[in-house]
Amino acid sequence: MFVSQSMVSKVITIDKDASVFEAQEKMASNGIRHLPIVNSEDILIGIITDRDIRSTMPYRLIKETGSAKEREKLAGLKVKDIMTQDPQTIDLTYTIQDALLMIQKKKVGAFPVVDDNGKLKGILSIRDLLRAFINVLGIGEPGTLVGIEVTERVGQLKKIVDAVTEENISLGSVLVARTWDEGKRAVFPYLLTNNVVRIKKKLSDLGYKLIDPMKWSLDRIPKKP
Amino acid sequence: MKKTGYLHDSMYLLHDTGPYHPEMADRLTAIYKGIEKAGLLDQLTLIPAIRADIKWIETVHTSEYIRRFEEVCLSGNRTFDYPDNQMCTDTYETAFLAAGGVLDVCRRVMTGEIDNAFCAVRPPGHHAEQNEAMGFCYLNNVAIATRYLQMEHGIKRVGVVDFDVHHGNGTQHIFEKDPTVFYYSIHQHPSFTFPGTGREFEKGEDEGQGYTLNSVVLPGQGDDVYQKMIQRDLLPAFERFKPEIILVSTGFDGHMDDDMSDVNLTTKGYSWIMETIVKLGGLYAKGRVISVLEGGYCLDRLGELAENHVRILLNG
Repeated sequence: MFVSQSMVSKVITIDKDASVFEAQEKMASNGIRHLPIVNSEDILIGIITDRDIRSTMPYRLIKETGSAKEREKLAGLKVKDIMTQDPQTIDLTYTIQDALLMIQKKKVGAFPVVDDNGKLKGILSIRDLLRAFINVLGIGEPGTLVGIEVTERVGQLKKIVDAVTEENISLGSVLVARTWDEGKRAVFPYLLTNNVVRIKKKLSDLGYKLIDPMKWSLDRIPKKP
Repeated sequence: MKKTGYLHDSMYLLHDTGPYHPEMADRLTAIYKGIEKAGLLDQLTLIPAIRADIKWIETVHTSEYIRRFEEVCLSGNRTFDYPDNQMCTDTYETAFLAAGGVLDVCRRVMTGEIDNAFCAVRPPGHHAEQNEAMGFCYLNNVAIATRYLQMEHGIKRVGVVDFDVHHGNGTQHIFEKDPTVFYYSIHQHPSFTFPGTGREFEKGEDEGQGYTLNSVVLPGQGDDVYQKMIQRDLLPAFERFKPEIILVSTGFDGHMDDDMSDVNLTTKGYSWIMETIVKLGGLYAKGRVISVLEGGYCLDRLGELAENHVRILLNG
């Protein structure tokens, strides 16, 4: 689960002396929002984002209302003038979890990934993390989610998994909602089947409460006391 | 009264899904008994199964897939691609008979021998992808019929309405780049049920953009929501598209008594849906409506649901 497995390795970069217009076009034509800047030794020296560009030159404004002189000044702007120098980076040995927490904490959209010498090795964006999350959820495969309320006690999950296995059903994933009613957990097995009638009955017979789908929640924000 | 065909054959019972499988042969028996008990058999044109020519199957599925299906089936394997797809050594032949029966019904409708029809076939088809069996489905009967109608009978625009409670991923994917086929599906929200596709933002790809439409129903919702969504989504879509023929993927598994889903359609609600589709058939498609069975697992309800279904076709 190192970021090296999920990052984009063929990074599209831009020269520090390129114009900001060029950077803008490069982003648009590649459908990306971050361009790292490296020197001749591939050492990362900065990053430019679509947001940097937009805050420097509100495009429509200059096109429609700006004076010729203003336009000329902006056209002369270079990447090195507005890039973020020494941006926040992550190492190849960072894990997906590190990256998730970092992105939440630093409020950025992407991290350049560098090796020990500062050489650019890849870029990891929120989009890559989303893909990883979709994979983990298993929702790319056909299946059915079931919501079960369990008491917070050792061995509960085993009984559920055993019941699922007895029905010869494969598990796509098992999600556990961290916040639920006091002393309870909500468990959501994603079952790779269209046929959940018998397993639902079996779980009920085992004494589990199946949660009304309209009350399902994976990320219930805890109530403040 | 319309001349309505009823595709029914005891050969469709041969596909044996083993014990405890919801997609069982008894479903078709329950449907037949319901229609028989209502005294409707005399008014219907009974149509027997015939085997599909493989060239029509190949308009949808890859030759590699068809070969694989045959090999796995004949080798005595009990499942194919997913454990859901339980089968027996007769499954391959039965699937060809299902597709072939539907094609024969299409031919009869196109030559004017019958006006419309209900095809009570097994195995079902709408989950079957070009190259993968899924959700009890092996050959995509409706997709194969669509290609047959276009290639053999010169139909340009085919409208497919899928009201099985599960999204017909196979049919959508087969036609999602094709502007000559409009695929409309109304089903339980994919986050709450199989197969997890058919989200509202899936609206077709490339050339086919705007020719796929999905309405999603939440757990617990029923007749009124179906009516609202079909009026809001399907009616204007078909008014624009003007299908020359309507194929229906009929699934009775959204019934409140069917425990394969959490939506609560009533028997009356199902009648409203079919009446609406038949009206659309009258408006745009010279009454040509061909309904093909997909899901529906509540044996106690299938009889009355099928009875109403064919009655609506007869009254066309």
